[in-house]
Amino acid sequence: MSHIRKLIVAYLGLLALLALTVGSSFLDLGGLNSALNLAIAAAKAAIIATLFMHLTSEGILPRLAVAATGLWLAVLFGLTLIGQ
Amino acid sequence: MSTEALRPSSYLGEGAGPAAWLLTTDHKRVAWLYLMSLTAFFFLGGAFAVLMRVELATPAGDLVSDDTYNRLFSLHGIIMVWFFLVPSIPATLGNFLLPLMIGARDLAFPRLNLASWYVFILGSAFALASVLAGGVDTGWTFYTPLSTLYANGFVSMAALGVFIVGFSTIMTGINFIVTIHTLRAPGLTWFRLPIFVWTMYATALVMVLATPVLAASLILIVLERVFGIGIFNPALGGDPLLFQHLFWFYSHPAVYIMILPGMGVVSEVLPCFSRRPLFGYKAVALSSMAIAVFGFLVWGHHMFVSGQSAYAGVLFSFLSFCVAIPSAIKVFNWSLTLRKGEITFETPMLYALFFLALFTFGGLAGLFLAALAIDVHVHDTYFVVAHFHYIMVGGMVTAYMAGLHFWWPKLTGRMYSETWGRIAATVTFLGFNLTFFPQFVLGFIGMPRRYHTYPPEFQFWHVLSSAGAVVLAFGYLMPLFYLGWSMFRGPRAPANPWGATGLEWQTASPPPPHNFDTMPSVSRPAYDYAMKGLQHETFSPHKDEA
Amino acid sequence: MRSSTESVAFDTKAREKAADTFGMWVFIGSEAMLFGAILLVFLIARISYGTAFAAASQRLSLPLGTLNTAVLLTSSFAMVLAHTFTASRRWRPAVWALICTSLLGIVFLFVKAVEYGREFKEGLAPVLGAPFSFTGPDPTHAEFFFALYFAMTSLHALHLICGVAVIAGMLLLWPGTTEASRTHRVQAIGLYWHFVDIVWVFLFPVLYLINR
Repeated sequence: MSHIRKLIVAYLGLLALLALTVGSSFLDLGGLNSALNLAIAAAKAAIIATLFMHLTSEGILPRLAVAATGLWLAVLFGLTLIGQ
Repeated sequence: MSTEALRPSSYLGEGAGPAAWLLTTDHKRVAWLYLMSLTAFFFLGGAFAVLMRVELATPAGDLVSDDTYNRLFSLHGIIMVWFFLVPSIPATLGNFLLPLMIGARDLAFPRLNLASWYVFILGSAFALASVLAGGVDTGWTFYTPLSTLYANGFVSMAALGVFIVGFSTIMTGINFIVTIHTLRAPGLTWFRLPIFVWTMYATALVMVLATPVLAASLILIVLERVFGIGIFNPALGGDPLLFQHLFWFYSHPAVYIMILPGMGVVSEVLPCFSRRPLFGYKAVALSSMAIAVFGFLVWGHHMFVSGQSAYAGVLFSFLSFCVAIPSAIKVFNWSLTLRKGEITFETPMLYALFFLALFTFGGLAGLFLAALAIDVHVHDTYFVVAHFHYIMVGGMVTAYMAGLHFWWPKLTGRMYSETWGRIAATVTFLGFNLTFFPQFVLGFIGMPRRYHTYPPEFQFWHVLSSAGAVVLAFGYLMPLFYLGWSMFRGPRAPANPWGATGLEWQTASPPPPHNFDTMPSVSRPAYDYAMKGLQHETFSPHKDEA
Repeated sequence: MRSSTESVAFDTKAREKAADTFGMWVFIGSEAMLFGAILLVFLIARISYGTAFAAASQRLSLPLGTLNTAVLLTSSFAMVLAHTFTASRRWRPAVWALICTSLLGIVFLFVKAVEYGREFKEGLAPVLGAPFSFTGPDPTHAEFFFALYFAMTSLHALHLICGVAVIAGMLLLWPGTTEASRTHRVQAIGLYWHFVDIVWVFLFPVLYLINR
């Protein structure tokens, strides 16, 4: 059951990333704390999306949906923030 | 209906009685459920508008109080935008035609489709409850802090109604996107799709990506009003301007949710009645997608005087000019389609030509508003009201009427009275211009919107506009009668009364329950009006025994 | 009666499965816009009132928040096991994995309720007119932080409640359903569940870990 072994590794990886993000919050890295937290969150999301949700193995359409959402979120954030 | 006895093979004959309709998953019957509910909302919203115009016939506020007037225009806006215009063409004609046009038996998720109608009805119940309880006076925009801290009306109830209807919009959008991607007939490549399908795709994209942002802003309003969680409250450091950002991130693209389907209808009607292929097919198809994308980049032009930064204002002004480009591409291509065509003026064509005129006019007025300096002058005046009514009513509702008449034989299997159709189209066009052209003038000379009294020097233009509203109301009431009559008594329609291209015309009128007796495949481009054997049939009540 | 597909529109099961998956992803995109909009509201406030937000964030319970993140990640793991078992038609372990998933969801909601109760008791919940008392340099903007905290976490919790309800409903109907429809449903609810997990993966550092 190599598939299930892969899932277990992914799950342990997620828990390790959780420990890393909580641990890093006790160090004072200045502005890097937030950046690190967001990077770790993005890594966790990528693991869940590819290994748990099969984002990359079910044809092009799911990736199209995610890419469109990413683009639109970028527009929402970008054009609102320049107005601030 | 007598149809059922005669044509057991049509979708109309598959089981009668309320249960057969209310529990149907046939996209063609769900389209009828929507059509009936939307017609009711159209006339309700219209009634509010007529009351406003009657009040405005005289400078004094003599018919309704200021508070009532605020509620009238708020409810007119809320009902017309979310309970008529946004779902209008997609949920009725789109629902009915999309599977037919791509050669499918149904939408990808038939049960989701029916569920979307029930969600729509649930949202409507909230909206109607807020009307009956006393209404809302925030305007359709629900601006904070007015809506959260000061408004006394039933804001939460109306906002929840709009929120719930948003779900029904998203459901329709998901269904359309998946259907177009996965259920096209063999040989029906993307660049052989009718433009109507392209515009449905663009519309669905906007529905799915913009509506949740409206939902978010409405949730935050309801949380603030009901649970006291102050998100936009300036006393806590919240930013009311941020609400406007979120609201217009949805509501400007929503304008394209409303107009894109109309563009799709016109792109079907114009080639058919000029017997010519659509000029510049690819440009028209891709400009629909461009409008869907660019439409998201321009929302700040609603906030030029709201206190956003000057740089943002300049950028949004520039981007707003850019969105005119794909619209202009369409207008030019439609006009060139007509060139050297064998044009005939049936009712759908009349409506489509009126669309072309009114949309172009309204769109050009939009350029005035995209220009920063002019916008500061005419902001929140009747100029803005006239502009968006030229697009929304002159454009969208006219296209809706064009589509309804064009596909009526397919929907019902019956023809309507051509004479009455032409009269109604013309009355609508005249009434519309009489109503809304004076409002451009009013706005330019300084009449602000949303007031129920005004100085006497504005009265001349207001009287013209109010008179036009009465004519326009007649123009919209007439189809109710002759289309209603044709449903039961009209002469039978053949499968392809207009000699049009497109898969929907290759099956019977009305279509069988699963749309096609043999599943079609496609080997030719869209709008192939040079194809042999496509005849524009003429009708007389005697020639309909088929 | 067309037997092999759920929707009348499809000829083959494979095509229908691709359409179902795509439909769920489009829905997830839509949901991402919803949470994105609210995160944007938070981000702008965080930029404007950074120090007040950091001080307010210190008052959240980091142990409970971390525990809850672990619980939700574990529930996602159980969900993906359920999906794997369904795909290989091992129904009994699939049902147990689904039960674990929903129980872990309920554990998350319980811990969240404990947190809410704690915050109400400490006067940190500006909800329903409850008294708000915060000792710090900038209590007004701390109150704003807690307003956003309650708005965001309650919206997330609402999504989780929907997920638990759908899994429970699916398990109740389980004996009477065909094998094909089971695979369909586990696939669809799985995508939703993982998405709700991803939302929390972002909410947790954004709310709990501001410059600790």
